[in-house]
Amino acid sequence: MFNWVNLASQTFNGLVLGALLALISSGLTIIYGTLGVLNLAHGAMFMLGGYAGYVTYTYTGSFVLAVLGGSLFVMLVGVLMERVVIRHFYNRPDEDQLLVTFGLAIVFVELVRFSFGSLSFIVPPPSWAAGITSLGFMFYPTYRLVLVGIIAAALLLLFLLLYRTRLGMIVRAGIEDSTMVGALGINVHQVFTVVFGIGAMAAGFAGIVNAPVVSLTPDMGESILVQTFVVIVIGGVGSFPGAVIGGLIAGEIISLTSMINPAYSYVMLFAVMTLVLVLRPHGLLGTASRN
Amino acid sequence: MSYFEVNGINSFYGDSHVLFDVSMRLEQGEVIALLGRNGAGKSTTLKSLSGLVETKSGSITLEGRELRGAAPHRAANAGIQLVPEDRRIFGALSVEENILLAGLTAKPSWPLQQVYEMFPRLQERRASRGTDLSGGEQQMLAIARALTRNPKLLLLDEPFEGLAPIIVRDLLAVCKGLAEAGQTIIIVEQNLAAALSIASRAYILNNGHVVFDGTSAELKESPQILSRYIGV
Amino acid sequence: MINQRPFLVEILTALGLIVAPFVLPYLGFAPDTVNRILIWGLFGIGFDILFGFTGLLSFGQSALYGTGGFVAAYLLTRLGYPEVISALFIGMAAAAVVGYLVGLVALRRTGIYFAMITVAIAEMFYFVEFNPLSEWTGGENGLPGVPSPVLNLGFASFNFSSGWSLYVFLAFWYFVGIVVALRIIRSPVGAILRAIRDNPLRASAVGHDIHAYKLTAFVIAAAYAGFAGGLLGVMQAFMPPDAFMFQTSAQLIMQTAIGGTGMLFGPLLGAAVWLFLQDFLQSALGIGAAWKLVLGLVFVLLVFFLRRGIIGGLVDLAKWGWGRFAPSAASPAPAAAIPVASAAADLPPQPRPVPAAALASRPTVAGATGHILSTEGLTKRYGGIISNNNIDFIVKRGELRGIIGPNGAGKTTFFRMLTCEVAPSAGRIVFEGQDIAGMTVTDVCQRGLTKSYQVNQLFTRLTVRENITIAALAALRGKFRLDLLRQPRRVPGLQERLEHTAELVHLTDRLDIPVSALAYGEKRRLEIGLALTSMPSLLLLDEPLAGMSPSERVETVQLLKSIRQDRTMIIVDHDMEAMFELAERVTVLNEGVVLAEGTPAEIQASDAVQEAYLGGVHA
Repeated sequence: MFNWVNLASQTFNGLVLGALLALISSGLTIIYGTLGVLNLAHGAMFMLGGYAGYVTYTYTGSFVLAVLGGSLFVMLVGVLMERVVIRHFYNRPDEDQLLVTFGLAIVFVELVRFSFGSLSFIVPPPSWAAGITSLGFMFYPTYRLVLVGIIAAALLLLFLLLYRTRLGMIVRAGIEDSTMVGALGINVHQVFTVVFGIGAMAAGFAGIVNAPVVSLTPDMGESILVQTFVVIVIGGVGSFPGAVIGGLIAGEIISLTSMINPAYSYVMLFAVMTLVLVLRPHGLLGTASRN
Repeated sequence: MSYFEVNGINSFYGDSHVLFDVSMRLEQGEVIALLGRNGAGKSTTLKSLSGLVETKSGSITLEGRELRGAAPHRAANAGIQLVPEDRRIFGALSVEENILLAGLTAKPSWPLQQVYEMFPRLQERRASRGTDLSGGEQQMLAIARALTRNPKLLLLDEPFEGLAPIIVRDLLAVCKGLAEAGQTIIIVEQNLAAALSIASRAYILNNGHVVFDGTSAELKESPQILSRYIGV
Repeated sequence: MINQRPFLVEILTALGLIVAPFVLPYLGFAPDTVNRILIWGLFGIGFDILFGFTGLLSFGQSALYGTGGFVAAYLLTRLGYPEVISALFIGMAAAAVVGYLVGLVALRRTGIYFAMITVAIAEMFYFVEFNPLSEWTGGENGLPGVPSPVLNLGFASFNFSSGWSLYVFLAFWYFVGIVVALRIIRSPVGAILRAIRDNPLRASAVGHDIHAYKLTAFVIAAAYAGFAGGLLGVMQAFMPPDAFMFQTSAQLIMQTAIGGTGMLFGPLLGAAVWLFLQDFLQSALGIGAAWKLVLGLVFVLLVFFLRRGIIGGLVDLAKWGWGRFAPSAASPAPAAAIPVASAAADLPPQPRPVPAAALASRPTVAGATGHILSTEGLTKRYGGIISNNNIDFIVKRGELRGIIGPNGAGKTTFFRMLTCEVAPSAGRIVFEGQDIAGMTVTDVCQRGLTKSYQVNQLFTRLTVRENITIAALAALRGKFRLDLLRQPRRVPGLQERLEHTAELVHLTDRLDIPVSALAYGEKRRLEIGLALTSMPSLLLLDEPLAGMSPSERVETVQLLKSIRQDRTMIIVDHDMEAMFELAERVTVLNEGVVLAEGTPAEIQASDAVQEAYLGGVHA
């Protein structure tokens, strides 16, 4: 049913989804840009963040602690994954990297399914953000508005980390030329571990802050992963600004087209991805630096 | 034992054998030139010393410390600093960020002001992104990055390549200043006049073998050697 | 293994399929499970051709599986189409067409991008099938009522309903699938797919249209997927929507990796392991829902340690055992060797070898003498840097030209423009009277201009014989030919071309050695051999002496002299002694322009050239 309120509501939803995708995709893209590994377990990490946050919430009753718990847990998972598994695959063909991260994704999902079953869990929003807000012409869930703010803050933090800290400098240099970074005395292996941890944490954080909006299921990472791929193809692999812009675009596309039919959003995304691949193979803001 | 010694190294690109039992030595504060036609193995030698190319057998020692087979960051932290042939500055970072990044793991590193004193042009362009710099500025930045790390041994790979004569002149002055200040340098350079104006000794490589080891004066007086191994 | 003896594999497969229903029940396999294994196995044959042989890891096979299945099921249920078997083939055709269209998009990129696109495709198909097309697909209910196949022979009629009777039907089609697949991988196309996986750059440079071949592999995989999908509907008497689910693609990939890639039977074995463990873990060990977790862990461990899956592991074990207990035996051929003309025992008698001189180079353009290659104003700019500036360059037919120049002279760029690896910013290149601007490396190779690379670009997983065969197949068949079912020995001229090339580069007694076991000098010779196979009229050699010891240099110079015959050759190298010994004329490039050209003596006597190299030492 077309009406302005519906459109406005969906546009807002698109903003929320877009911000979420921007954050998750940023994590994926800096991992790929720096390490050259496409982390197929990224969606599963999003899911793990939600569950880890849920567990923290049940023990502490605090939403803030849940967010911290979820994010830190996934960061640890990322660091372990890089040290134990991924680093043995840097010199192996691309397909092997894809297969091993893919396998780990399945392991994570099944581990969660085994531990929690397939029922869904709810993490309620914090009391100060619960309920609905009147925006004059329509009502909108308060938490979703807050969520945009939270994610914007997270993106800002990520931006500051990348562009205003020494670590960020190293990461940006590493995306461009990790060998030269090594030749300037920096141990790139440690950099890789840190980057993987940060990228994973971004996904995990997104998973727990998004939890009040959806219900947690073991499979919730799957569709996120696909959408993330589309985002980084659109925005350009290895580009943080590209991931942000691509995320917002994708979020709006999904939201607005799903007004017509949820399946069409996939078709539209795919069509946009195809268009970008044909017209601008490196994405909107990508560089040709990585092969 | 010399300050820096290379003994019988053999370097490979995959299974392509590019350096054959290469040896050389330097004392502290010496400047030597590594000459030869392209393809002779000069760049490969510098990369071998920096840990960027696989070296089997032989040894590389700096102040007695064995560094053959060391990873690039270990060689860099031991005091060997390469200024690569294609400069490889970080285009996405600013001039200042490039310099700061280089200094992160060096103890002690040059203060930023000292770098800018040597290269005032870089101070003018401190906020510019690497991709926006001209060729000469990029070369200055590449050298500045290396110097920030206070290297014991500075390796310059074709620093004057592709630059206008006036810029070459300025950079050469910088290099002479460094040499006079006692910096130990190995310079690979096709511009013979420039190279021999700052180097006291020279090695010539041909097809991966060392074919000449002598003073610059000796070399200048041996036209047959020059035309055989460097000319045509 | 696949190629040792003709029909051995086919016969063993048939025997295995016949014997299975009598043996498998004792191992705990129910007929329904065996049928499922067969369908996954058939689905996997196509996937293995795409991934195991061609190297394209697609996560989107479920889209084609579902398409084929639903088209067949729709025909049989909603439209009341009477014939099951032909409905299956129609479903297969539909899947192949969809595969073609999807491939056009997905294959625009390689590696990781390709994988991402296929993931997106899989998800898209699932959601579209579920919702907007639910009228045709039954949405979440699928299409019930798919009939069993019936074979009417007049005097008797067979209804392949379920259990072991359906097994007969499925086993038959699996057998057909294997026979066709074996034909395909033994055909020239199969060999080229393997070359693409190994070194796509070189496959393209020796004259194959690799994009067309990849698309072919994609369509083949789609066809197998579509047919298998149809069989799924028949087996379950209902076409389920979860055929389209991403989990289906995921399971296929895992099963194939577990069983082993590149051997066609991997998916079958993987499916057997998967379904068996699923049963075993759930019932016998009582793990319940954690079976998938265990399988996931097994998969990760296999990718880590046993990259070629169970079959691959067994083959390696067999080779190791063979090597231990029969050390004097020659090293056995690798499991998935490329078919070669001489492998079969019943080869027709070969024609007598043609004298080498007559095969030296392809027939020249009628009446053409003089220039074989010329450039006019050839320029290349990279941003603000001019790498090649207005170069006019002419080479006469039959010449041996050298190109030298100090560092940064632009020699590499020049060479890359000649082979069309890089497009010029301005200027013309005329080869054999034709302007070759805008052509691809493949086209230029087919026209008679090839290059031997500075860094070896060989097919490292293959033997010397197989390497040369790949190059020869392009020379003899053109850049793309769909001879999927052709037997390799029926490629006319292949054996001669192979032997001739091997002889030219002195590798005749090393033909069956894998590239990885060759000495560096031998690899360099093979490198030149690959460029020579197509009998180019113009051969470019990029630093042929790079990385060689002094004795290897001497040998290589002799080799280059001996392969010359009436070919035109242009060599770039830095070894001056060698260059002046080989070249009749030498062009000197400096800072992107031609500085001088003449005989070696003239060049050595030129002050300008000495100046360029010596940089003003002698003022």
